[in-house]
Amino acid sequence: MVEKTEAEQIQEIIQHYPGQRRHALAAMQDMQHCFNYLPRAGLVALAEHMHCPLVQLYSMATFYKALSLKPKGRHIIKVCDGTACHIKGSMSMIDGVQRHLKISPGDVSADGQFSVETVNCLGTCALAPVLLVDEKHFGKVTLGQLPQVIDSYKPGGGNDG
Amino acid sequence: MRLTIDGVACEAEAGEFVKAVAERAGITIPSICHHSALPGLAACRLCLVEATPAGKRTEVVTSCVYPVSEGLQVVTMSERIQRLRRTVLKLLICRAPAAEGRLAEYCQEYGVQNNFTPPDPDEKCILCGLCVKACEELGPAAIATVMRGVDKQIQSAFAEAPTDCIGCSSCAKVCPTGKISCTDDGESRVIWGKRFHLEKCPVCGRPFATSEELAWLTHRQVGESLDLTLCPSCRAQQAAKQSVRG
Ligand code: SF4
Ligand code: SF4
Ligand code: FES
Repeated sequence: MVEKTEAEQIQEIIQHYPGQRRHALAAMQDMQHCFNYLPRAGLVALAEHMHCPLVQLYSMATFYKALSLKPKGRHIIKVCDGTACHIKGSMSMIDGVQRHLKISPGDVSADGQFSVETVNCLGTCALAPVLLVDEKHFGKVTLGQLPQVIDSYKPGGGNDG
Repeated sequence: MRLTIDGVACEAEAGEFVKAVAERAGITIPSICHHSALPGLAACRLCLVEATPAGKRTEVVTSCVYPVSEGLQVVTMSERIQRLRRTVLKLLICRAPAAEGRLAEYCQEYGVQNNFTPPDPDEKCILCGLCVKACEELGPAAIATVMRGVDKQIQSAFAEAPTDCIGCSSCAKVCPTGKISCTDDGESRVIWGKRFHLEKCPVCGRPFATSEELAWLTHRQVGESLDLTLCPSCRAQQAAKQSVRG
């Protein structure tokens, strides 16, 4: 199968939506999902398709945390730093992730596999401290289990895919 | 529709806002983010007044966007309003200690000093959004608020010299804090990091608009019946002469 070019993928995503601004966020979410970030060419093409000023899409792209203008890692680790998790030691959890992957929150690991973010509450306080990797929750995580959880997402690991 | 503002009986049309009606009656209400030609944004919160709609409780409202109603009673200054405005001023001056224009004057008038450590001592912008509105209404919408929370700011797309900006300087003109720099040297204008050629009026020789702005006006047909090669004052003179000649 011939790989689609980025431009083709972008067109595929935006042609899926009518050329109206109210669909912009949905199209941007699709783009984020497809590329792990919003390529600049994607925003430009979308602005044209939706007849909407580019800066307004840029405004949305910089406002929503789920959207990013820089490539994110293949797996996104969200360490909860809400009140309950904070009390249950989320700070050392963040440290632990940082040490294991050698990146700080907001960064992407050198191999492009992981992004680390802190979030303010995942709504699962009973499981504190909580870690979310992609869509999967890890509750009551200990520092000792952390490397194992993360490594399972590395290529060849049980959760990679 | 009748209402009273500071005890003065006022007449107003439905749909008007308290601040505009007060001003017509000669009562000024402090404001930074209001511009008569643009829709109210209610961002600065300085125009707070106490409003009591007929038969209802008194509320504190932003008068620039608070609609009039029959029998409405408005008090534009009270101890409570004074206290609230002082708080608002404290926050604004901490956010934008370098703001030019009315903010510093109001702070003096209300005896407010900047007691906080400002996050950025050179900041001028109060994030009122007037510039964005102006560009949306008059220009191509080349700027917007970007990011969020403490990082929120007014920017062009990708924080680069905006390709779609026409250099009309509407944003800089409406900005109440002098945040947006716009420099004209007679030949060209620099705004948002972009340089524009200034067109000169063939009659008086005064530089009056950027080439892009004229192209934009022609495109939008704003100037359908206007001779856009002339500056506004020569244009007005010419129109006057023509109407005299009939
Ligand atoms: S100068 Fe540029 S950014 Fe400012 S209002 Fe005009 S078009 Fe918009
Ligand atoms: S730049 Fe000026 S007009 Fe624009 S938001 Fe800031 S203070 Fe308001
Ligand atoms: S003038 Fe009403 S909130 Fe700024």
